[in-house]
Amino acid sequence: MTDYFEVHERDGAARVGELRLESPVTTPALVDDVLEDAGSLWSADRTVPEGDESTLTVLPHRAFPGGTAAEVQDSFAVDSPDVDYPSVAVVSSESATDQGTDAYAVSDVQSITGHGAALVEAVVNVREAIPADTALYFSGVATPRNVAVLAYAGVDLFDETAAVVKGTEGRYLTTDEAYFLEDLEELPCSCPACQQPREEFTREDCAEHNANALQAELAIVRRRIRDGRLRDYVEGQARQDQWLTAAMRELDSQWGYLEERTPILRDAQINAATSDTIRRVEIQRYADRVTSRYRNRFKNPLVLVPCSAAKPYSESQSHRQFHDAIQWRGHLVSMTSPIGVVPQELETTYPAQHYDTVVTGRWSEEEKRFVSDVLQRYLERNDYPEIIAHVPDEGYRDIVGRVEDELGLDVTYTVPEGGHPTGEQSLANLSSALSGQLKYSKREREHNTVRAIADFLLGDGAGDDLFADMQTTSRYPKIQVRDEEDTQLATMVPQYGTLSFTLEGAKRWVDSDVPTKRVEIDGFVPHGSVLAPGIVDADEEIRVGDEVVVEGPKAFGIGRAEMFGREMRESTRGIAAEIRHVEEK
Amino acid sequence: MSKPTPDVYEQGKGMDAHNQVMREIRSRKEASYDPHEPTRVWLDEDNTPGGVKTSLTIILNTGGCRWARAGGCTMCGYVAESVDGGSVSHEALMDQIDVCLAHEAENADEPADLIKIYTSGSFLDEREVGAETRKAIGETFADRERIVLESLPDFVDREKIADFAGHGIDTDIAIGLETATDRVRHDCVNKYFDFADFEDACAEAAAADAEAGDVADAGIKAYLLMKPPFLTESEAVADMISSIERCADVSGCHTVSMNPCNVQRYTMVDELYFNDGYRPPWLWSVAHVLEETADVDAIVVSDPVGHGSDRGPHNCTECDDLVQKAIKDFDLRQDPSVFEQVSCECELTWDTVMERERSFNQPLTR
Repeated sequence: MTDYFEVHERDGAARVGELRLESPVTTPALVDDVLEDAGSLWSADRTVPEGDESTLTVLPHRAFPGGTAAEVQDSFAVDSPDVDYPSVAVVSSESATDQGTDAYAVSDVQSITGHGAALVEAVVNVREAIPADTALYFSGVATPRNVAVLAYAGVDLFDETAAVVKGTEGRYLTTDEAYFLEDLEELPCSCPACQQPREEFTREDCAEHNANALQAELAIVRRRIRDGRLRDYVEGQARQDQWLTAAMRELDSQWGYLEERTPILRDAQINAATSDTIRRVEIQRYADRVTSRYRNRFKNPLVLVPCSAAKPYSESQSHRQFHDAIQWRGHLVSMTSPIGVVPQELETTYPAQHYDTVVTGRWSEEEKRFVSDVLQRYLERNDYPEIIAHVPDEGYRDIVGRVEDELGLDVTYTVPEGGHPTGEQSLANLSSALSGQLKYSKREREHNTVRAIADFLLGDGAGDDLFADMQTTSRYPKIQVRDEEDTQLATMVPQYGTLSFTLEGAKRWVDSDVPTKRVEIDGFVPHGSVLAPGIVDADEEIRVGDEVVVEGPKAFGIGRAEMFGREMRESTRGIAAEIRHVEEK
Repeated sequence: MSKPTPDVYEQGKGMDAHNQVMREIRSRKEASYDPHEPTRVWLDEDNTPGGVKTSLTIILNTGGCRWARAGGCTMCGYVAESVDGGSVSHEALMDQIDVCLAHEAENADEPADLIKIYTSGSFLDEREVGAETRKAIGETFADRERIVLESLPDFVDREKIADFAGHGIDTDIAIGLETATDRVRHDCVNKYFDFADFEDACAEAAAADAEAGDVADAGIKAYLLMKPPFLTESEAVADMISSIERCADVSGCHTVSMNPCNVQRYTMVDELYFNDGYRPPWLWSVAHVLEETADVDAIVVSDPVGHGSDRGPHNCTECDDLVQKAIKDFDLRQDPSVFEQVSCECELTWDTVMERERSFNQPLTR
């Protein structure tokens, strides 16, 4: 049972949580002031302390430092006593188990920090072993430089110990370095400890500064998590130390761990400013869904165009000009780094209109490979009577050429060599390449958009399955989906390019062959939020932001997931889903 | 007193695990040794109840520690330095003694007053050193003032001590007690006797002392281990302070040698060290314990091995030699004021480690 910790905000594996002590602590945070250690069982027999709600008590423990053999861990393992105050169990990253406590301190923490792969393996091991709504505590390792990456990996609690120890050793810590104090002519900081003449600045002051710098960095981390932008920060911050960059990349290869925790939509922008952005879950997931779930339903030729800085693309100057030339006679698919390919129906779907990239016109080999891989997979899945590439030379044409060769296609290029896609000649070529093609109707466009979004959200074939017969009303992008009897089934949400269902829509989903993301609740009728304790079961596939059917003996409802599926099942506190519509049974 | 066979020690899950792991670690060592050569021999100076004496220290190769063959202590790599398998014959053991005497004759002006014999096991265990050999060694050193013999407490009895004290040699039995805390000795060191067994051995020595009358003294020298694996710096320090106090209170125990753990190859400590899970103690810790226990009723000495190296007890490297020198000075003069004369910036770090190191964040420094 997790009684004294609750997760409020999630950003990938990172969370803003609350240690629900007498004076609550917002995490990720330092816990020096609230921690009580009941002591190690290696040195003495211990009694279970009285404990109270003002402190976080580390229960009596046998910590296994790095290098402790598995046999020793097995035979000396202790089970944490069941207590009714805020408690921490000490576990090894190699043998962690659920101890029923609010938090878990990792005993071999010194062995796993400093090594990217070891850190990630340890965090993933422990996180998979303990309930999702418990706090993870790394003692004695946090510094201003590493704490953002540690929090990004999923660590919630820290202390100032390492920062203070380093200060006493004459190391002046900043977010970018561990400077030798003796080498600093001036102190590169304006915290209170640094407000004194350089020559009077002692190692005690240095320790105080280090703790201040760590506090400040943690405040930024909490802000970033709330904004859903920690990853963007970490892509920069991790560069300050090789092992931190390694840790971030290793985590990117832990697809299962990270994907489960990454929301399917966010308000925040993705800052595509480093080569690591391409490996973000959001980017990879979009590429995967576009090439394995989405299906083109238009009969018209494909027109490949470059992306635009303005989002959604259709509102940009260049795309308006393309549209004027195409006139609904072609199916528009934008090519972009780092998203891959964006069919026109999914141009509002997260993160297609939520990223901003660094525009130089120079493509790295990795970007070219990524986009051409996605384009190839896309074209293997979708047949077109004709392919028109309305793309400029740099990068784009190279990519289309590669796929054209690979798949043995015959592509019509409409931008003259050295020309610009919005050039008069280019646009004239584009228009004439489509001459004789019939326009598709607004109805077809809107229906295909709804079905495309359903494919993307709910799975391959979902669009046809759910919306074989329907009508659409209202104006794109706020399309309303209705059945033949005019009952509303869903609405397109323009901010994220997703669908929000009505009760009727939810019933149609449940009755269809499309796998339903279902949350099973106890016998009550939820209004507003569904809290974790009321949940009996939840589908593994649920991600934060997903549409979920919420059903119990007394109620049937539809809402949006605020936790991922496993988290809903394991948590004892917190909001699991927000209900949109509900009816009593 | 419990029975002196390793087999009966084989009790308890934790010990099985420690032994299993240590056997595996030790099996990686392939070297083997000549039973006619001692493991090691050297000359030094030692503080004894009779004053500071020149000493000849002999590490006798007796086939090694039986306990270690079952697995043994988590920090001890000496077992790896003993001959493979079986025991060593009387003739071979006497050859080893001859080699040591030759070393002494070559390197010292006159015979050392103090002889110290260690076996990486128990000199008084008859399966390691038979009665014939024991008596012969007693005769060999009959003209010396003092002898120190290493043994587990189980093997200590007044008759065996009389083989030496009977010649008029003051006889000390060196017991690797490691700590007075049974829990730490069992779980961290994996050494399976109790403090009560040590007390019994002290009583045997006291009886031997009484029987020897004015001819010779007999007593116990307790060897303690500072910072076995799994303890934090402050726990290790507290464990040593209380251990020294408890040893000094046992009649028959006149000297305590408190030695910081060093990282020996083919040990569990080495595995932890290699994986950033262990740091040998600070020399400041050694100094602090000696200072805190200066007034106990026993000689307290410490001989940090490998001081200043990563694998040995160390401070910041700047002050290691100085603090080591102060410790050696204390060993000879027992005057704690020597520690007031050494200081270094790294004391602040040591203070911080003492205050903040927990078993779930150790080691805080390298």
